[in-house]
Amino acid sequence: MSTHALHIDDLVRQLDDLPSLPAVVMELLTSIDQEDVDISVLAKKVSHDQALTAKTLRLANSSTYGLQVKVTTIQQAITFLGFQTTRNLITAAAVTGCFAQGLCKGFDDKAFWRHSIATAVCARVLARRLRFNQDYAFTAGLLHDIGRLVLVTMYPEPYAETIAKSVQDDIDLLDAERAVLGIDHVAAGLKLAEQWKFSDTIMMAISHHHDPDTVGAGVLAHIVHVANAIVHALDMVGDAKEAVPPLSPVAWKAMGLSEEAYVHVFRETEVQFDEIAAALIS
Amino acid sequence: MNSPFHHLDLADVRPGMVLSDMLLDRQGQVLLPKGAVLTANIIALLPRHGIDRLPVLRSISEGEAPVPIDETAVTAQLAKLFRRLDLSLEANSAALALQTYVADYRLEREIAP
Repeated sequence: MSTHALHIDDLVRQLDDLPSLPAVVMELLTSIDQEDVDISVLAKKVSHDQALTAKTLRLANSSTYGLQVKVTTIQQAITFLGFQTTRNLITAAAVTGCFAQGLCKGFDDKAFWRHSIATAVCARVLARRLRFNQDYAFTAGLLHDIGRLVLVTMYPEPYAETIAKSVQDDIDLLDAERAVLGIDHVAAGLKLAEQWKFSDTIMMAISHHHDPDTVGAGVLAHIVHVANAIVHALDMVGDAKEAVPPLSPVAWKAMGLSEEAYVHVFRETEVQFDEIAAALIS
Repeated sequence: MNSPFHHLDLADVRPGMVLSDMLLDRQGQVLLPKGAVLTANIIALLPRHGIDRLPVLRSISEGEAPVPIDETAVTAQLAKLFRRLDLSLEANSAALALQTYVADYRLEREIAP
């Protein structure tokens, strides 16, 4: 029996109290499968949010995307990078700015985002090698642990106990969540993803990033699972308590990469990380 | 001399080198992003795109004055990072591979292609 025995239904009832994404981002997310979206109208709406626009353009102009001209408007970004990539950049810019910081003792918001961004970058690098959609991989990597922010925001004090237990017993935060709270960040993240209307593919990846062996988990869950382990192993956050979580041999083999290829993935992830992190964490 | 990158003739470019800038073809289209690791396949394809020189990171392109790597420290750090996993178990075979690969990467060991 967990200390707090929270139930996922309690969480769902309070989800409305959580920060919401800007309306235009919600609109972008729900328009994923629509073909008749008027891009210029959406671009104009995003442009009204100056902070969001600035962050999105900073990201679009990072050398990872290899643009030869600096884009100065959302419309230009769409022209050069395409609608899907730009939409993902806007989403990334929006989610990294929408949660309040410093709510929970022991929870380092900057470190959280550094880990998420590193996982996003690594997932994108892996996706390119697997010829999988790189935008999906980036977004899924960025959001895989978003449930942690849900728990931290809703239950700051119990979550502080969770962190303390994980440090004291030197166990995975996931196990500490189950022991102390009774619910974990996977379930919480899934509920938020539903609320925020993320696509099924992204939801599957969030849902199975710790158990990619589940039948039907999908390639994206494999990619995020492996990227997460790599980022821990490369110690990219620089946390003294860093520890590599279990790595599924099934997901690892599913990448089909040689040692040489993995070493290239490590290097590309490290080279691209700093600039993307600088664009997203300000 | 202290510039972090330099331009190399294609003939001097080796697999494993890292692009220090994006690479454009004759039409100005992006061929590869900054940070891309060059492979033998990529290098073989470059003449077709009219590339004869390219910018690569200096630290990896040259062996001059390499920063000595503290092998003991790298090994100890990796042991610490993987401390929660019993790497002798079959279930952790992938984690063991990951640890080995990261060690080879950190220690800049030659890797058989």
